[in-house]
Amino acid sequence: MAEYALELTNLSRHFHLKNGAFKEPTLLKAVDGISLRIRPGETLGLVGESGCGKSTLAKMILGLLEPTDGDVLINDKMRGASSRLSMSRQLQPIFQDPYSSLNPRKTIEQIIRLPLQLHKIGDANSQQRAVKDICDLVGLPERLLKNYPGQLSGGQRQRVAIARALILKPNILVCDEPTSALDVSVQAQILNLLMDLKKELGLTYLFISHNLGVVEHLVDRVAVMYRGKIVEQGTREDIFQNAQHPYTQALLSSVLTPEPALGLPDVLDSSAWNQAS
Amino acid sequence: MKRILDVKNLQVSLPTPNGNLRAVRGIDLQVNKGEMLCIVGESGCGKSMTSMALMGLLPKRAEVTAEAMHFDGMDLLSLSKKERNQVRGMRMSMIFQEPMTSLNPSYTLGNQLCEGIIKHKKVSKDEAKKRAVYLLERAGVPYPEKRLDQYPHQLSGGLRQRVMIAMALMCEPDLIIADEPTTALDVTIQAQILRLIRELQQEFGTAVIFITHDLGVVARIADRVAVMYAGQVVETASAQDLFADPQHPYTKGLLNCIPIPGKTLPGSHLESIPGVVPSLIGELKGCAFENRCNASTGECCYRSPSLENHLGSAAHQVRCPIATASFQEAV
Repeated sequence: MAEYALELTNLSRHFHLKNGAFKEPTLLKAVDGISLRIRPGETLGLVGESGCGKSTLAKMILGLLEPTDGDVLINDKMRGASSRLSMSRQLQPIFQDPYSSLNPRKTIEQIIRLPLQLHKIGDANSQQRAVKDICDLVGLPERLLKNYPGQLSGGQRQRVAIARALILKPNILVCDEPTSALDVSVQAQILNLLMDLKKELGLTYLFISHNLGVVEHLVDRVAVMYRGKIVEQGTREDIFQNAQHPYTQALLSSVLTPEPALGLPDVLDSSAWNQAS
Repeated sequence: MKRILDVKNLQVSLPTPNGNLRAVRGIDLQVNKGEMLCIVGESGCGKSMTSMALMGLLPKRAEVTAEAMHFDGMDLLSLSKKERNQVRGMRMSMIFQEPMTSLNPSYTLGNQLCEGIIKHKKVSKDEAKKRAVYLLERAGVPYPEKRLDQYPHQLSGGLRQRVMIAMALMCEPDLIIADEPTTALDVTIQAQILRLIRELQQEFGTAVIFITHDLGVVARIADRVAVMYAGQVVETASAQDLFADPQHPYTKGLLNCIPIPGKTLPGSHLESIPGVVPSLIGELKGCAFENRCNASTGECCYRSPSLENHLGSAAHQVRCPIATASFQEAV
């Protein structure tokens, strides 16, 4: 077994923003020298505000974007060393918006089955069986297999996305805000499913989210990202009970729990964490 | 306390190829001057439809009926289009969810801020600009004079939402309807914007109807809360009562599904509400929540419950005979 399911070493991605034909382009360091390690079976939560580089990082891990610098190691092997197909058997994404991440012109069965066809695993019969088994696993009723994504509710669609990701039996899932497009009652169902699957299949998650309540519930370790850098990382207890960085403290104090007596949190001055980072 | 808005039995239905979709199925709302009423519910429960109906922004094909829809003594439904336009923008205004899409990208902010007040209050351009600068400053926008000549794309999401808030206050309205104003923002910015809305509301004595799906937000800012499900209000109470003593099974279910830092045991199984929202096309038989409710009895399938007082007080009402009955038995 690999020592780390996922390892990032000094990973960076810079963008050159054009300011017109004759002006110098500005350099945007979307991800700036990030090193992270996730052990097999561990769940790492990545939190941070919009534009801090969370999704750019996820794209580089998935191989959808080339890093400017640094390496991604999956199960102790370099991302570029083996073919895309063999990488995708180890690592699969679950995206935020189940409304736009599923092809509207394909039936649910076609969507879930496509990875098996691309990887030429089994014959038609065994593929159909595998699709039904995976639907059982994620709690998707079999009668929906002939339907199109447009006929499904948000929660059902996210189950389809999870089934599609799991059909190749990967050991790592990269979840980019998997529940932020869902209602709270449905969000709870999907979170329960993700926790059950982890226990059953021993999955490793990189869980990207801005919802700190969800992150605390699900993860073992937390990394806090701000302006392309990890400003603080530690175990769940470290971060949620004893945060050191002012930005982490500000994030935690902005979480609104349903407790009317507490009122609104004080507005913190962002210069505190800008200086510290 | 002066009552600013009084709505009785508001119904909205939209024609679809499959039949009439009854998005709002009989809603009563009362809002007092200077009060913050939160309407909370999941997607598709009719909360946005309610706000659009109050503002008169629904398309013509939508059928809006109500027993009463009084705004500061005026009957909104009997107003002509011209009179309604006078009320909208001047006496009631709206803050939308997406500051990216609700500002016009091809006009300057100054132009958009001043348009309403020049039209409604017949003030000069200079006076309008002065007020815009004052409100932008109050809303926490840095360099307010400079902003008047800028376009929406030059501002961040948080700043744009601050401009929207300033715009809503331009004509000193009596009522502001804020439809998910912080959903598109980061949590640190959300806290700032909520605080701003609360402060300005108290300063100007404006009544606010705040529409959201986030119970955390509701708990922290609301005076009163109305929980909506399938086009109806299922429970209404003061914020304290609702969170301390929720009665309706749906309200309880919603509160149980959210993992709360420091309270929910990490990694534990979360409670969820099984099933899905019923289709709102055509008539609904019995209680709308019956198919997802863990307390339902045979009677719930055919008897439509009405809003009943809880503990004999009109301040806390619940649309569930079982919740009300079991309480009476316990007493």
